[in-house]
Amino acid sequence: MISKIFARFWLIITLFCFGTLGHATDKLPENLQWQTNDTAPIFASPDAKKGGTYRTYLSAFPLTLRTVGPDSNSSFRGAINGNQLSLISLHPNTEELIPELATHWAFGEDKKTMYFKLDKRARWSDGKPVTANDFLYTLEFMRSQHIVAPWYNNYYTEKLDKVVKYDDHTLAIVATKADPDLFLIVNITPTPRHFYGELNKDFVKRYNWSIVPNTGPYQIDKIKKGKSITFKRKKKWWAKDLKYFQGRFNVDRVIYTVIRDQTTVFEYFKKKRLDDFIVTFPNYWHEKAKSIEIYDKGYIKKHWFYTDSRESPAGFWLNLDKDLFKDPNVRYAFAHAIHMDKLLNGLLRGDYSRLENHNTGYGEYTNPNIRARRFDIKKVEELMTASRWKRGTDGIWEKGNLRYSVKVTYSFDGHTPRLVLLKEEAKKAGVDLQLQRLDGSAAFKLILEKKHDAAWMGWSTSFRPRYWQSYHSDNAHKAQTNNITNTDDPAMDKMIRAYRDSIDPQVRIRLAHQIQEKIQEIGAFVPTYKVGYFRTAYWRWWQFPKVAATKNSGGLFEPFGTSLFWLDPAIKKETEQAMKTGKHFKPETIIDTTFKPK
Amino acid sequence: MTTMKLAPLTLKKIKRFRSIKRGYYSLLIFCFMLLITIFAELWINNRALLVYYEGHVYFPTYGAMTPGNTFGLEYDYETNYRDLQKKIELEEGNNFLVMPLVPYNAFEMDLRDTEFPPFSPSWKDKHYLGTDAIGRDMVARLVYGFRVCITFSLFLLVITFAIGIALGCLMGYWGGKFDLFFQRLIEIWSSIPFLYIIMIIASIVVPNLTILVLVSVLFGWMGLTWYMRTATYKEKARDYVMAAKALGASNNRIIFYHILPNTISLIVTFVPFSVAGGISGLTALDYLGFGLPPPTPSWGELLQQGTTNLQAIWIISSTVTALVVVMVSITFIGEAVREGFDPKLHSTFE
Repeated sequence: MISKIFARFWLIITLFCFGTLGHATDKLPENLQWQTNDTAPIFASPDAKKGGTYRTYLSAFPLTLRTVGPDSNSSFRGAINGNQLSLISLHPNTEELIPELATHWAFGEDKKTMYFKLDKRARWSDGKPVTANDFLYTLEFMRSQHIVAPWYNNYYTEKLDKVVKYDDHTLAIVATKADPDLFLIVNITPTPRHFYGELNKDFVKRYNWSIVPNTGPYQIDKIKKGKSITFKRKKKWWAKDLKYFQGRFNVDRVIYTVIRDQTTVFEYFKKKRLDDFIVTFPNYWHEKAKSIEIYDKGYIKKHWFYTDSRESPAGFWLNLDKDLFKDPNVRYAFAHAIHMDKLLNGLLRGDYSRLENHNTGYGEYTNPNIRARRFDIKKVEELMTASRWKRGTDGIWEKGNLRYSVKVTYSFDGHTPRLVLLKEEAKKAGVDLQLQRLDGSAAFKLILEKKHDAAWMGWSTSFRPRYWQSYHSDNAHKAQTNNITNTDDPAMDKMIRAYRDSIDPQVRIRLAHQIQEKIQEIGAFVPTYKVGYFRTAYWRWWQFPKVAATKNSGGLFEPFGTSLFWLDPAIKKETEQAMKTGKHFKPETIIDTTFKPK
Repeated sequence: MTTMKLAPLTLKKIKRFRSIKRGYYSLLIFCFMLLITIFAELWINNRALLVYYEGHVYFPTYGAMTPGNTFGLEYDYETNYRDLQKKIELEEGNNFLVMPLVPYNAFEMDLRDTEFPPFSPSWKDKHYLGTDAIGRDMVARLVYGFRVCITFSLFLLVITFAIGIALGCLMGYWGGKFDLFFQRLIEIWSSIPFLYIIMIIASIVVPNLTILVLVSVLFGWMGLTWYMRTATYKEKARDYVMAAKALGASNNRIIFYHILPNTISLIVTFVPFSVAGGISGLTALDYLGFGLPPPTPSWGELLQQGTTNLQAIWIISSTVTALVVVMVSITFIGEAVREGFDPKLHSTFE
């Protein structure tokens, strides 16, 4: 998930950088505090060897190789964009800024301008140097009607004001408004003007299958339409010796083959035609991939890697506009009636862990003191009797004409067993859960119209916590807003307003902690669980640094992301011989808890 | 009252039905299964049949729940009688309790500390057919699931037959524009894809038994209408109807006293197949996830679990066996009914 978040930020950063063309007469402000970063820890291994081929799959062949315009929003776009560097990037473990195309950067006093010095060595894949003009062109390109991409047109207009060129290797990027995390907005990627030239209405057709010059480690080499796409490593890549790129991007070739069905993918992997297979799902890890010959004989390894990424706030969202939930005691009782321990350890095999807080994994922005309410029938009884409820003949709490029966709206069928378990346990605490599974869009519509009692869902994450959309009274009691709990609390509003208006990180962190306490106090969100890891099976010749991935990785094999893996030809030869002669190795399962939150 | 009049003829039919052994025994088996499922609480339940505790006798099977503190347990939610049984055995007092044959209901999950469901069949744990993928007893799921199925099927039967017979009869009897209009209506109505409608409905509201029956009726009443229309046309043209008319009998009298009794064999023949249709229909809907909401026990849901957990072979095998037994016995009953009521053997009216 973290990697997804970062991909999103990258994209945003990339998208936002282009303003109007600057004038050569623009003068660089004096007293700029230029910063760089060559002190962050490296996360790749210095022992990594270059060479070999990494084979993976695509579930569908992309409809186009363009990254903007119609049909471009496929998962394969990530592979193309992964080879397009931006000005700076975030260190995957420490989240400090580290150089990419820019060696130095500085913040303007207006809090909406950021200045960059480009690396003079930076080259496009066709050998042309990367200059400030390419960033000016990004803005022009992304705002053009010819690319038929309204979202990008809009984003590059509303978020970015302009790009100012001072000389070929010095530029400033100006956002439309001040922002505490300005670098997320202004960190854009260059676009090769020398390749596209003047855009016209032929753009969409003309560039469908063009291989656009890029600045990253790989470039598309071969395309077999409908079948496969091969990337080839650039032997003389301009950035290969830079500190944060050493030991990464090791394989010579990355081949994506189209395999439509997950079961077939698993068979391909078992037949050694793919290099890795994701076994994060409990049924693969515990059953389907548990005892297979290639593992029992030690030819493949299994790797369970815990990450520490921003977690989706997943759980029950109680609708405070319902009579039942007007009383805070009743809401707290709901949380105490949810038996997460039994679910996590009894049904989910201890794979997932308890989500404690609305914002988990946000670093300093996470309030570490918040702990989710635990299953506790005694507490439920105290709370309910305090509010003068009584157990009815079927054991469910009653008061006047109210009965503690809650309709739980959800959409994913795979969650039914989980909810069925919680329902049976909640009954003991006197809370009746009625499961209401609807089709995804119907469920979401019902929830956004605030017609639910309790919604079982999670939200996507952002780089920093956001509260206005989910908890501000501006969005309560009306349809189609994200405040699905109908939280309407003046103290909360005040804190959220202050959080949004402040650009001082310390103040924002303090406010975020207070807001999270308030969320806990209101008790309308009952956090459930987080996954917090990925699991991969791979052939044993693949090697990794001591810590095989980063805090924010989405997998062990991210060929155009962190890309830390390499192939050891000696081990490969040894294994292939062993497979012929029937020799065994010791089966190996690696569990890495380096980043597992305590 | 009509059937009373026809008693000798009907008796003859029943006799003939009984003489077809395969169908007759199938009927007995089916009735036995019905009895089992109707009184399932008595032999598949997590509530005890009888508790003798400190001089009091309790029959917890039916009615409101009995909280644990009644029996000296430290909670006031529903008593876990299996635990109570263990406790009573340990105490060695005069107290005792009788548990049903299968001490689980269809909803509770029997989860353990060291293993994960599905659990294989075990005599010791009293999971005679094992558990499903989340630890619920298979016997309980099957028996209570059958109850849901058969209830659905019978409601569906009664309503579709009521509509089908009434409308078919009128179409055949009145004929003319009325007949023409409904013929076209049925043709159009039949071409609406039932499955899509139910999918759309299931995605907007959570279907319950009433909704499912109503929707199935909405798209299932046409079949019998056709047959009844034809049969009525045929009967109407017969001399005895003409005679009744000539004697000044009212339409009501002709329909209820003359035509309906003579089409009854047709109706009866369709009953078993309609029940089978109802069961397979609900099972299919549940299998696809458009049926009754979880955690309702359902055969379709068990089939679905079984196909995705083929390593737990007892789930799919026991469900398929149950389904086959029910379907085959209904088919045999249907065959025997058709033979027994075959009008060709009784066409002695003229």
